Amino acid sequence: MSYKKFESTDIILNTMRAAPLCEFIIEPGAGAIYYNNRPERTGKFVSNVLDVPNGFISLYELNIDRYNTSSAEHAAGVPMNPLIYSFIEKDSSRYSFKTVMTGSESDWDVEGAGTKLYAAYPFSASITREFMTGTTTQQYKAEGSPATSLLANGAGQRIKCTKTGSSETAVLEMWPCSASHPHYYGLRQRLDYYKWRSPHYGITGSSTGSGGTPAWIKDQQKINLISIPSIFYGSRIKPGTVSCKMYYTGSLIGELVDNKRNGELIQVSSAWGATVTSGTNNVAGVVLYDEGFLVLTGSWNLTDDNVFLVRGSTGGSPVNPQWIYFGAGAQDGINYTTVTIDASTGDAPSNITFKLSFRGETETSVLTMFAHAKRGETNFSNNPTFIKHGQSLLRNTSSHVYEENTARTIKNTVSSSFTNQSASFKRQVYISRIGIYDEARNLIGIASLANPILKTDDDEYTFKLRVDL
Amino acid sequence: MPRTYETLNLASDLTTTRTLLHESIPITGNIVSGTYGVYGSERNIKNYAHGQFQSVYDYPYLSSSANHIFDLTMGYDETSVMSSSTSIQNAKKINMYNEFSQVLLGYTGSANTIEIFESDLNFGDNNRQMKEVFFVNFSRLLVKDQIKKGSFSISLSTGSWASGTPGAINATTASITLADVSASETGGTNNKGNAGEYGVLWRSNAPASGAYGLVFYQAGIAVITASIFSSSIVGLQQDFNKTPGGVKQSLSASLTGSSISGNCDAFRHRLQNLSFNNSTEINSTIYFCRVPHNKFNYSTNPTYTSASQIRVKAKASDTPVSYLTTIGLYNAENELLATAKLSEPLKKDPTTELTLRVRLDY
Repeated sequence: MSYKKFESTDIILNTMRAAPLCEFIIEPGAGAIYYNNRPERTGKFVSNVLDVPNGFISLYELNIDRYNTSSAEHAAGVPMNPLIYSFIEKDSSRYSFKTVMTGSESDWDVEGAGTKLYAAYPFSASITREFMTGTTTQQYKAEGSPATSLLANGAGQRIKCTKTGSSETAVLEMWPCSASHPHYYGLRQRLDYYKWRSPHYGITGSSTGSGGTPAWIKDQQKINLISIPSIFYGSRIKPGTVSCKMYYTGSLIGELVDNKRNGELIQVSSAWGATVTSGTNNVAGVVLYDEGFLVLTGSWNLTDDNVFLVRGSTGGSPVNPQWIYFGAGAQDGINYTTVTIDASTGDAPSNITFKLSFRGETETSVLTMFAHAKRGETNFSNNPTFIKHGQSLLRNTSSHVYEENTARTIKNTVSSSFTNQSASFKRQVYISRIGIYDEARNLIGIASLANPILKTDDDEYTFKLRVDL
Repeated sequence: MPRTYETLNLASDLTTTRTLLHESIPITGNIVSGTYGVYGSERNIKNYAHGQFQSVYDYPYLSSSANHIFDLTMGYDETSVMSSSTSIQNAKKINMYNEFSQVLLGYTGSANTIEIFESDLNFGDNNRQMKEVFFVNFSRLLVKDQIKKGSFSISLSTGSWASGTPGAINATTASITLADVSASETGGTNNKGNAGEYGVLWRSNAPASGAYGLVFYQAGIAVITASIFSSSIVGLQQDFNKTPGGVKQSLSASLTGSSISGNCDAFRHRLQNLSFNNSTEINSTIYFCRVPHNKFNYSTNPTYTSASQIRVKAKASDTPVSYLTTIGLYNAENELLATAKLSEPLKKDPTTELTLRVRLDY
């Protein structure tokens, strides 16, 4: 078989950039997130065929409408439809599953070599909201000194560590140690770094007037952190596409957009209710495009009505909807569906709906190759049926000679225009596949045509092959 | 931008490993028949105008969530007793057999005759030939790189058709299980075919224990002889098939008198359980990045210095200290190719020497 070499002009490597749209609708009153308006699909075995809650992506979508029947259920007539799962055998390569090991046979440290380590599907992802706030202004003191206040009672609050004397109640010293909200501290440097993009990223806002207090100190602010896994957006969130909308009883009461494309989330819509400061053109937070976070600090009222959007351990608290409550119910560990409502002080969370939309950016390297079948070339096939059937392969063979039959004829595949008449022989082939070989002539890819292409000696074709890398 | 680079010694600082990741794939009869519609018109079964095979999905195929799990077809060799000009789709059944045989086994003899499937590891000896077979062609989504040897198992119902519900088979009657019990990573397979290795599907339980099919591991195709449903093996089968119109057909009547899709329907309704483990190769290169005691004790991070003085040094005689957070892998032109992040910074000073193991999977 002969090989055709790709010339430099036959290979093009470029990048395809796409901007997939992501929309999340969050209903705290229903405890639901909806992703791209996808409905819940009911199966024959399970109520949700993807086996992940609404608003989640199932990574491989392998377990569709499957249910892991217990032996008791099976005995009671529930059909078996077990789940697909993955496993790996412990060996010296030190491979393991990072966070999804299940069962007693999964402990890397305990199990011996050759033991199967299991992981359960599905792997899922969705947006997460984290409301970061301190409780009170904390008091600290050095040994022998009176207690002093530290104002870091917002997202930057740190747990109080104490040093006691001989008596447990005699506190000698108190100081701030580990962070109450480690995710904030993880992003703190990154936020400060992006000050070149907008001053609103800064941990500390510029001071007002000579010797004035800073406009803000993020450590002391309540922060609403929305985390978006990269599976939703790809390389980064596309600047200028982020929109946060808050609805109260079905009416839009505020919208944030990053229309300056500098990360600032600016309120653009008019507020609902005449007695409320509108907040239009205020910056309510920033977007970390590359990292996939929304950091919301806007704490002005969007309506003069109260809604139970804060929940304690025993009940709820009515608050005016603000941007720091945006996304309440999105995997924030709070169940708003069972909050106790006092209608005289506020409305149920079901009156509020949030909508978050943005576009991602994905980059796919695309290799395009042009394979040429020139005139007078590529006119032979190694397919056994290319030769007329019934001819002997060998002309002469013995212990000294092996000679193939050179007189074998090619089967005439030319179609005749007339019945009972054979067309004149013409050299032609049907091209059905194109093989791609590396420099060592290893077959590394095959491009198959939807339909074989008839090529006669006079024809010349160029096939365009495209591979997404 | 680094100021110094530590050159990797390709002989001692580099090694490669290969690990196999497996998935357990159970396919029950509930998935392939009877769940998403009535017998003959199930919504997870796609039949084509060409009639050469049918595709089986794990959910109604019009849903974007549906996964294609396998294609099913059947065929017979032209020398089979089933081959006749009066048989339904005779040419297509022969073509399907020849197509799979060409791809999986190849040709033989001076006249380039197509090989015939045999239920043994030597397809050249013309013993145990399987001239009428069903082909189960699994999706690459399930097979991944290959089927794990010794893990394939298929159970088929051999009961008669129930008289009531369309598509139902009497549950009280026996089934047969075929498995590649003799195959393993170290033997029990043949790799002389055109499509990689294959193993034999054995029926271990009496009566009529023996080999009744093949499984091609890399191609992800199971070949099962139709004779598994014959009376000589399972002891009944006057009604291998029951058409959607309610007509019962014996095995030979079905193979000759029903279309490929009709025979596939009958096969699907007799499929009770099918399971195998797949394998995915994870190739890794491991770089041992050595950090000598007298290097990498300084950082070019802008915060490392304050007012032209190293923050971590109070006076000039203090030993320098740095914290390693990232390892960059560069090519010969000092172009950054990849970075490896540590889960937490590692303290480094002139009294310590480190070797960091960087694994690159692909």
